[in-house]
Amino acid sequence: MADRSLRRWLPAIVAPIVVIGGALAVPLTAGAAGVPPEKSAQEVLELVGSNEVTALSGTVVQTSELGLPDLSGALSGTGTGGDSASSALELLTGSHTARVYLDEAQGARVQILDSMAERDIIAGPDGVWFYDSSEDTATHLALPDDPTGSAGTDGSQSDATDTVPTPAALAEHFLDAIEPSTAVSVDNTSVVAGRSAYDLVLTPDSADTLIAAVTIAVDSETGLPLSVAVTAKGQSAAAFSVAFSDISFDTPDASLFSFTPPAGATVDEQLPHAYSLSTSANGEHDSHLGDLAKNVTVTGDAWASIVELPVGDLAAGASEESADPSGSASSLLDAATEKVDGGRVLSTSLLNVLLTDDGRILAGSVPVALLQAAAAD
Amino acid sequence: MSDSPVSDSTLSASTAPGETASVRARPPRGLGLALLASELAILFRRTRTIAMLAALAAVPILIAVAVRVSSSGSSGRGPAFIDQITQNGLFVGVAGLILCIPLFLPLTVGVAAGDTIAGEASHGTLRYLLVAPAGRVRLLIVKFLGTVAFCIAAPLVVVLAGTVIGAILFPLGNVTLLSGDTVSISESLGRALLMSAYVSVSLIGLSAIGLFISTLTDTPVGAMAATIVISVAAQVVGSLDQLAWLHPWLFSYHWLGVVDMLRQPILWSSFGDNAILQLGYVIVFGALAYSRFVTKSILS
Repeated sequence: MADRSLRRWLPAIVAPIVVIGGALAVPLTAGAAGVPPEKSAQEVLELVGSNEVTALSGTVVQTSELGLPDLSGALSGTGTGGDSASSALELLTGSHTARVYLDEAQGARVQILDSMAERDIIAGPDGVWFYDSSEDTATHLALPDDPTGSAGTDGSQSDATDTVPTPAALAEHFLDAIEPSTAVSVDNTSVVAGRSAYDLVLTPDSADTLIAAVTIAVDSETGLPLSVAVTAKGQSAAAFSVAFSDISFDTPDASLFSFTPPAGATVDEQLPHAYSLSTSANGEHDSHLGDLAKNVTVTGDAWASIVELPVGDLAAGASEESADPSGSASSLLDAATEKVDGGRVLSTSLLNVLLTDDGRILAGSVPVALLQAAAAD
Repeated sequence: MSDSPVSDSTLSASTAPGETASVRARPPRGLGLALLASELAILFRRTRTIAMLAALAAVPILIAVAVRVSSSGSSGRGPAFIDQITQNGLFVGVAGLILCIPLFLPLTVGVAAGDTIAGEASHGTLRYLLVAPAGRVRLLIVKFLGTVAFCIAAPLVVVLAGTVIGAILFPLGNVTLLSGDTVSISESLGRALLMSAYVSVSLIGLSAIGLFISTLTDTPVGAMAATIVISVAAQVVGSLDQLAWLHPWLFSYHWLGVVDMLRQPILWSSFGDNAILQLGYVIVFGALAYSRFVTKSILS
């Protein structure tokens, strides 16, 4: 009798084990099929160079463990008005999922999937649209009038596709920086988004940088980088990573690249050449950045380089922002930074930013002491 | 077939004797389809079920009337869905559904699922059901399918009531999706039905838990309360960042993913992930319920 009772309890014991075991095991064994042939680091680099993917659709997951203080409370107050600084900071904390559609012939679309909301960037034949569903606002950046027509369109579209935050775009940035001071190796093969990939590991030789390694998973068939993970020194988990969670190389539907703002949405038209004339806050901000770009100085070696912004421009911008009635920008700055000799520092595991007392900004993937030394020069 | 489902005049308690299916006239044979049909007939003719569905239908109706009466202040408080109602009545159903997900729908499913076995036991009818050649396994399956039918009906009622009241009180028009794209009225109705289906699937895991709890006790109110408490507890745990590792295992993890049906293109992976998660709960708690029920000594 006890035997029989035991046998009847068997399903109750087996089912949870099977379900939990299955849930844990499926992601691990998904890529057991097909191990690609071994390749040297040089061959993988060539594979990346030969990548000719022109169209794809997929889901990109971005995670950050930068050790930034939790700013969600401070950020929620600055949500309106499209404050570019706070949205950039928001992307640096926590994780985000985005759907990406790319077609070199037609354009690009990125959908940042927020909970109960969505932000869309659509770069298509009729310019670049930005749509925010929580605010129900659409911003349109028209293409410059270009007599050569199609050539201009193509140019701006590839610009737009380059700015899409895919692993490929980020990988290009790191691969461009390869030089003798970087050790490149192929670690092993891995499975990303259900595809087998070579793990290309870039290890900076420099002792001055905060970056321990950059791991790029390269699709073994197409050479497309499928994920990029940046590890900071002293951390085992990636401090910043961008990876496809699923990907398809079919051409996305053309209707995705055309956008008509919905009825009732607030539409903001901007002309790309009219920034300096624009009176909107965004326009001023961008013109600041435009001027800044001319005055930036870069010192140091590739991995340990320090970017210095001169006195004035940004400080003026910052004081303008802090003059804004809520005072949220300055409180955000205070919350995120700590006081050191010579200024305030925003410290993360990958990047340090020094705001000197005389208004200069120095940033780099280097220890704070190096930033202070550079500021003193 | 159930020739005479017992008249159930009392809405309130589940303890009123003789309220439920006391005696099914002829014990059904065959595949159990007749048993299922009789179970469904009793479930949906029960005053309690009708009252719960009516209460669910009242939610979107209340939203619509409240927004209509106070249409002045449409400033951006609350979910964007509510703001859109005044422009488009088709959003009433969607807004009602999303408002019902955290509490009202789990509440009604908890009542329906908690009552399954414990309700029969408390009325002393379980013994008669099992004397008939129905068998314990088949009765368990039929009871579970009855709860699933309720999971399908409940969100559907919310969406349909909301759509109808929205069409009466507000203008109809093309619907703006979260992605900023606009779809026609007919496609948006299809999306609303899809959202209803998503929510139905979302609730199935909870109903399996309720079924298991219902086999543990002879007190239906206890099983209902326990199921509802579990649903609330899961959502509290789901809101604690410190337990983030546990979140993907909670049956409520994908509940608010229902808005993924409002993206363009539809995020089908969300539907699939949700279905797999709920299936896992059905397997685990179905097995637990089976083991408990076949070993249970039926005294009443």
